[in-house]
Amino acid sequence: MKQGELLGSLEHIILLALVRLDGCAHGMIVRREIEERTGRNISIGAVYATLERLEAKGYVSSSTGDPTPERGGRAKRLFRVEAAGKRALQISEQTLHSMTADSKGRWETI
Amino acid sequence: MSRYSPPDFACRLFQTVLPVPFRGALLGDLIEEYNLRAEATSPSAATRWFWGQACRSIPFIMGSSLRNGDWLISVSTAVGVYAVMGTLKLAADFMIAKLFAPEPTAFVVLAPIVFLAFTSIGGCAAARIRFGTAVFLALFVMITVAVQIIAKTCTIPVPWWYEFGFLTLGPLTVLLTPVAFGALKPNSNES
Repeated sequence: MKQGELLGSLEHIILLALVRLDGCAHGMIVRREIEERTGRNISIGAVYATLERLEAKGYVSSSTGDPTPERGGRAKRLFRVEAAGKRALQISEQTLHSMTADSKGRWETI
Repeated sequence: MSRYSPPDFACRLFQTVLPVPFRGALLGDLIEEYNLRAEATSPSAATRWFWGQACRSIPFIMGSSLRNGDWLISVSTAVGVYAVMGTLKLAADFMIAKLFAPEPTAFVVLAPIVFLAFTSIGGCAAARIRFGTAVFLALFVMITVAVQIIAKTCTIPVPWWYEFGFLTLGPLTVLLTPVAFGALKPNSNES
């Protein structure tokens, strides 16, 4: 992760979802996890586009599973969080924490 | 094997639009979730969900392709297809004007048929190369028709809806004919 570069909000949420799912899952499971936990009904296309971006940055890697009949004979693409992804999460969490420390009361009173 | 099947046209549309790296896995995910939803709720509710996901996903996927630089290849190939299509269309118009339709009325009737035939063939050829090419080809067709309308190149008096038909149906034919006929890039089922 470059100096000063932060994860986008969807990138952050998707990486967190992958971590929650034991670090490895396919797109629809990630989408479902986010929907269940946040109530955000995001599209599968948004999930895949973000996962592609995260893969290009080296934060996640992907592998192809076996095709199954319930998927119309199509294989799963399993995404895994890499060490760089975990580091990016840590930096983002630290940045958010340092920005929110001592300032929570200010927006809560608005 | 599930006894439910997702809407065929939505699947074809999605399969046509998706770039190869996304195609198999993303469509498989949607079909898997569709089957679960059809079991849990009803097939019609699952179909609505499927269409909603397909329509909402396309802008993200197209945006991702553009960011990856795929657009440059798509534009280049679209220019090639457009040049071939345009040349053949001009030749066809010339033939009609010379041989079959010395009367302006006959030309007005035949012109849209020839136009739609060429946009259909061009759309299928473009989508066969890659869907992004068909998107840019549709854009080129729209711009060409718009320029012709503004420049008033048609010397025969025609109603406004006639020209509007060219402007809307041309790009739509380029995009929808390959979807309807499944004219996809080969190996489209690869994940």
